[in-house]
Amino acid sequence: MIPLPFAQAAVPRGIGLAEWLVDVDTWLGRDGILSSGLDTVTLCAAVMGTGMLIAVPSAALLAHSRRGELTATALVTLGRAVPTFAVAALLVPVALRRGWGFEPWPIFIALLLLALPPLYLNTYTAIRHVEGGVVDAARAMGIGERTLLLRVELALALSVIFTGIRVAAVQVVATEPIRAFLGGDGLGRYVRDGLGQNNDTLIIGGALLIAALAATTSVAVSVVERLVVPHGVRRLKQRTAARRGSVG
Amino acid sequence: MIAPLQAQNPIIRWSWFIDEWDQVQAALVQHLELTLLALGLGLLLSAALATVALRYERGAPPITAGAAAFYTIPSVALFGLLVPYTGLSRATAVLPLAGYTLLILITAIIDGFRSVPAEVREAASGMGMSPRRRVLTVELPLALPYIITGIRIATVSTVGLVTVAAIIGQGGLGRLILDGLRRAFWTPMTIGASLSILLALMLDLAIYRLGAAATPWTRRRGA
Amino acid sequence: MTECAIRLLNLTKRFDGEQEPAVSALSLDVPRGRTVALIGPSGCGKTTTLRMINRLVEPTSGRIEIDGEDASARPVAELRRSIGYVIQEVGLFPHQTVSQNIATVPRMLRWDRGRIDERVAELADLLGLETEQLGRYPDELSGGQQQRVGVARALAADPPVLLMDEPFGAVDPIVRTRLQDELLALQERLRKTIVIVTHDIDEAVKVADNVALLNIGGKLEQYAAPDDLLHSPANAFVEQFLGEDREMKRLALKRVGDLPFERGPVLDLGAAPAEARALLGDARSEWLGLTQDERFAGWVPRERVDTAATLDALPRELPAAQVHPGSTLREAMEVIMNSRTSVAVIDDGGRFGGVVTLEQIRSELARRAS
Repeated sequence: MIPLPFAQAAVPRGIGLAEWLVDVDTWLGRDGILSSGLDTVTLCAAVMGTGMLIAVPSAALLAHSRRGELTATALVTLGRAVPTFAVAALLVPVALRRGWGFEPWPIFIALLLLALPPLYLNTYTAIRHVEGGVVDAARAMGIGERTLLLRVELALALSVIFTGIRVAAVQVVATEPIRAFLGGDGLGRYVRDGLGQNNDTLIIGGALLIAALAATTSVAVSVVERLVVPHGVRRLKQRTAARRGSVG
Repeated sequence: MIAPLQAQNPIIRWSWFIDEWDQVQAALVQHLELTLLALGLGLLLSAALATVALRYERGAPPITAGAAAFYTIPSVALFGLLVPYTGLSRATAVLPLAGYTLLILITAIIDGFRSVPAEVREAASGMGMSPRRRVLTVELPLALPYIITGIRIATVSTVGLVTVAAIIGQGGLGRLILDGLRRAFWTPMTIGASLSILLALMLDLAIYRLGAAATPWTRRRGA
Repeated sequence: MTECAIRLLNLTKRFDGEQEPAVSALSLDVPRGRTVALIGPSGCGKTTTLRMINRLVEPTSGRIEIDGEDASARPVAELRRSIGYVIQEVGLFPHQTVSQNIATVPRMLRWDRGRIDERVAELADLLGLETEQLGRYPDELSGGQQQRVGVARALAADPPVLLMDEPFGAVDPIVRTRLQDELLALQERLRKTIVIVTHDIDEAVKVADNVALLNIGGKLEQYAAPDDLLHSPANAFVEQFLGEDREMKRLALKRVGDLPFERGPVLDLGAAPAEARALLGDARSEWLGLTQDERFAGWVPRERVDTAATLDALPRELPAAQVHPGSTLREAMEVIMNSRTSVAVIDDGGRFGGVVTLEQIRSELARRAS
């Protein structure tokens, strides 16, 4: 049997949770929480950035031209069903053969697949449900299609798109810890190591850190939304979200 | 790091699949058991909570919000948090898995019952149907398409999540995945991952078929 | 048995959180085997009143007697199973076939299989539903067909009382007229006690034996037979509600066949031209009608008759204005207005049934309501 391909965080057994969490080394060390957390946040940010670059423009264009209805409905089902762990696992040997290394491509792609449906779906439904009257009025005033999409439809849809971003971001952050079982590190390492060492402190501490990061992500996206989305558009959200289809 | 030699292991070695069939079968059975247990428990809980939400107007928002909050708890964290209390047992796997189905199932049940047209309810009552009979023979069948869709999504997502339960020593096919990863021996990993995806698709299709058979009126629409 | 099937006594309904009662102190007698229409502006409590009869709404005070028995004393399920209920949205069960829908109440009453099947077939026949449609789902039927199924379902257990809440409100005008005619024909045979809620005064006067006109808050303004209501409105509210053309609406209540028979300036083809000239001399008509074997053969203009050798040789114009004994006077008037003659020929199943003149219609309107 080949040893685990990852470094173990050695933690003395019998140390209490509070003790572990206040120890400077726990946070600052080479395998410390800050560096592990940074690992996780970096990967998640990369996934979300890529996801938004792919999903938002394509959904916006398709919705603007009233096409791709079927894709949107199919994604409702798929969105909650992507087996991230299995997909990532299948990609590991592929990545290795290509010489991309053990990490982080498999988990990156699997998380991207997880993030795309809510991003795509919410952008699509939000733009589709911008009131026809508003669009007609804009066209009647001689506004070009490009400006219409960017300044009117996307602007009005922004709030619902942000909901999609929040759902996707929370799912990505909440799922990322399986990376620790796929040959990587990140915040999931403490639960992994705790399980490996039969160390409850490490398991609970790690679990709390993951949960805290997921909760923080949700709050952070909402804060960004408040800063970015105009007040008037945010009030539209309740109405649009009430219509079936968008994830919220 | 892994030696290049191990990276060159074949993605699947069929002889292993044949030799170790017993192990694969056991993993498959455990995977199915965990999925069904979690779904069964999830469905029971969802039915109870959805009933409360439907009966008391004010109950719905906190119940769905609670289920939604639960849904965002990272699975690795939840499995981990339970280990000190329930050990590396089946319960540690099933409880979170069931919890993750709640949001989907409760929403589906509530949507389903709310989709029953008011006039249908009115007509049933007007003809002297008891509320109990009305719920069982009229509202439940009409809510069924929504509930079945909910069960399908919950099933597929549970099959995927069961693999993660491998980190606490449960997880059926997930154990093959983890085992393969640890040894950089890809065959069990590929088999575990592929079979889990296949299992999800098969269960989805099976429930879809059952659902279609149970709701014949939805197929002839618009004829 | 009492003559009065449903009796509302001082019925009042006050909904929670509302200042004014929806229905206040309403008293109304519905005679057995008759159709009573509840009508009024929205907010007049007509639907609330209807729903109190089968206790979908419980009255705040007052009493409802059905066959002399207090409705609130009966178990509610049993009460409702003995009252047919038809609503505008029909409310068929989408997951059950047409025949299963119709069988709803008999099944609840635990009729045996054979009796249910027999009854479903009987009702399908009564309402003109095809056997092939019985196995279909409601969504596969048109709106009019769905409402026929709704009526069949309401009649399934042969309830003596039928409540109808805007039953024809959701179908197009042509289908609505047909369904109204079918209801009249059905009522002719079944003689149920029917309470029908409508907002359409034309529908009310057409289908009901008595019309109860309610004002906001369920206040009864007038309760009368349609002709009385239209001819002598009790007050300004009733008059305004009935509209400017209420006298014209009365015409819709009378049928051509009810008029005294009038032959008009009509002769057999074989008659002598002199006879024709004598007839036209008396009548002020510009046209002479000709019949052959008791069938109407066409019109000839007066000036042609003056010079004709035989009536048979004259070129005839076939009548544009044709009505049936069952046509309403309103229809007859419209037909006459659209034709070149001032009379309409009555086609009584192919035979000449006399004529209707504008003069007749006018004098009919002038007659006081009986």
